[in-house]
Amino acid sequence: MKSKKVISLLLITAMSASLLAGCGGSDNKPADSTPADNTAANNTTEAKPDEAKPAESTPADTTEKNSSEEAAPVEEQTLKVAAFEGGYGADMWSEVVAAFEASHPGVTVELTIDKKLEDVISPAMKAGDYPDVVHLATGREAALTETLTKEKALLPLTDVLDMTVPGESVTVRDKIVPGFLDTLATNPYGDGVTYYAPMFYSPCGLFYNAGLFKEKGWKVPTTWEEMWALGDTAKEEGIALFTYPTTGYFDAFTYATLSSAGGPDFFNSCMTYEDGIWESENATKVFELIAKLGTYTEGTTVANANNDNFTKNQQLILDNKAIFCPNGTWLPGEMADAPRADGFEWGFMAIPAVNDGGAGCSFCWFEQMWIPAAAENQDMAKEFVAYMYSDEAAKIFAKSTAIQPITGISDSLEGDNKLFYSIYDNGATAVMGGFASTAPVEGVNMLDTLCGTVNSIVSGDKTVAEWQAAVEEASDKLRAAME
Amino acid sequence: MKKVRGKSIFITLCVAPAVILFVIFMLIPTFNVFKMSLYKWGGYSNTKQFVGLNNFKILMEDTNFFRSFQNTVLLIAIVTIVTMGFSLIFAAILSREKIKGQNFFRIIFYIPNILSVVVISAIFSAIYDPNNGLLNSIIGIFRGSEKTPILWLGDQKLVIYSLVIAMIWQAIGYYMVMYMASMASVPESLYESANLEGAGRIRQFFSITLPLIWTNIRTTLTFFVISSINISFLIVKALTNGGPDGATEVFLSYMYKQAYTNSSYGYGMAIGVVVFLFSFGLSAIINFVTKREPLEF
Repeated sequence: MKSKKVISLLLITAMSASLLAGCGGSDNKPADSTPADNTAANNTTEAKPDEAKPAESTPADTTEKNSSEEAAPVEEQTLKVAAFEGGYGADMWSEVVAAFEASHPGVTVELTIDKKLEDVISPAMKAGDYPDVVHLATGREAALTETLTKEKALLPLTDVLDMTVPGESVTVRDKIVPGFLDTLATNPYGDGVTYYAPMFYSPCGLFYNAGLFKEKGWKVPTTWEEMWALGDTAKEEGIALFTYPTTGYFDAFTYATLSSAGGPDFFNSCMTYEDGIWESENATKVFELIAKLGTYTEGTTVANANNDNFTKNQQLILDNKAIFCPNGTWLPGEMADAPRADGFEWGFMAIPAVNDGGAGCSFCWFEQMWIPAAAENQDMAKEFVAYMYSDEAAKIFAKSTAIQPITGISDSLEGDNKLFYSIYDNGATAVMGGFASTAPVEGVNMLDTLCGTVNSIVSGDKTVAEWQAAVEEASDKLRAAME
Repeated sequence: MKKVRGKSIFITLCVAPAVILFVIFMLIPTFNVFKMSLYKWGGYSNTKQFVGLNNFKILMEDTNFFRSFQNTVLLIAIVTIVTMGFSLIFAAILSREKIKGQNFFRIIFYIPNILSVVVISAIFSAIYDPNNGLLNSIIGIFRGSEKTPILWLGDQKLVIYSLVIAMIWQAIGYYMVMYMASMASVPESLYESANLEGAGRIRQFFSITLPLIWTNIRTTLTFFVISSINISFLIVKALTNGGPDGATEVFLSYMYKQAYTNSSYGYGMAIGVVVFLFSFGLSAIINFVTKREPLEF
């Protein structure tokens, strides 16, 4: 009897101990998870003293000053950087971080990089442990960037723009291609204050098989009239005019056509939920255009327009079953290993003008980098963001075809990418931005209402009037939440 | 006296770890869900705004929520009825009849349960593929392959039933094994005497097997409610992500979209509260309705 008691007590102690151990274990984690290559990077810093720059130096300092400050003792600090691993891969980030550490002695960068970055960093963020710099675009399903924006938890980057790029003598603002800083995709509240630093950009437009056009002797349409005519011709040969990966891609498509239909001011009014704007004549043109395009859409598109099967829709282009597909410049990379029709050749064009005689247009999508307001090491975080625009960093990114909006970077492109990025040089208007950030409105999701409904339009479950009314209703509710 | 006290300390110590774990991992989070549903909060910042029952008021007018409610109820009802029917029949056949390869079938039926939901949804995407899918190819033999393909995941009236099939396929094995376990404990003598009395197989099933495994069936009904809500989220997330245009939105996928994609964490928690109360209430009703005097054997 007694021995039974003793054993039970021992078991309980073991259980309690393991419980406590389980709870306490997390404290050690951050220290352990420091990337091993950081030490290597730190060692190299000593070998390159001429590039050294004390962490504390003010933005105005330029390289000439560095020599005098070199003697100052280097303060050890850690910068936590979290970056989304997109189609460009993870290696470029490790390389950039190593280069940053090399040029900033004493700074150790803890790099978190993941395809599902939100899942990795948000638990710690909820507990108050924020990364110092985050590279994560808007428009993702977990919407971490949007959530922090809506909660006003981001640091304004205005002073970063006036900083000198580390190791160079120009300011960040001067290096960024004009136009990229006046959009709702960098100034989410529409008040002229920049909160997101524009990173890798990609023109969005219509992809097609240029080989098919050559083979059939067709002309690439430049107006919607020619587009519909081509659609009818192709239909006789059993080829559909249009397909789309998922309705999520209609954001870029709609933005571009809205801007084409009513100009940039009209586009901005749409993005800031102006009263009645979605029921205006110009908006109606866009709704009807998409609905007409729906009738030319390949029959199985809707069934495959989900996260599991969207590549089947993209495959339609490669198989010559559909002609056009809206997408971004990452598409050829995404479909690199897919089988394709003989003589296939990527073609890329802007979306034809909505009004007769107008210019074609292409939405320019870009990823964003931001600093949480709760970041601990804000000065170094700003330094890191500024460093992103240095020639050194841009070169590393460009190697992986991640192109930043820095003047002159796209000149270094080759092959297909040269064609894609030259779209604006060929007369297409660049459209940038996105819906303005508002306080969250429960149950109202603008992109879902605007883009998700396209599936119902194509399948005939909803009419254009219903769609338009729903978008206007969502716009009304969001306007009320805008401050 | 001293012995009694020592004993109660001993019991307290024994129970404490479980109670602590239960409080930390069950009670506090549940309480927090209820609490958060009264706030307007994005999930991260410290700016929580108390809004009382406002989230629930918005919920009552949210047509998208009602759509997800309908879909969930439809899934629970159809999946429960069909799965229970099939798994009872299969369990009865496999445990009462002498057929070749009994164990083989048992394993085959159970396999879907071991597969992860992502694998299951990949399998079903392949089956439902409009052009080269298994289902359309077989149907094409009868209706001719020239006709426009059936869009199993694209037709808004069909797509929810496509999910139903996947969920049933996934669940049958698990419940079958549970029913088989309790059927094994029904004494053989009852069947023998029933045979002597001249009762047929079907009569035996309804008069002996079913009443004697009734407590087990009641338990599984609660499981059906809970697992339908959970599994439907996983399958929807992997297979359709609520599409096309919200036609397959279920409770939890809508909750996820509101709490994260729409930055309305408090509203998401309000949906969570409704789901909690609904599943609790439904289980209670089912439990009450199916109450019978337990049969002793």
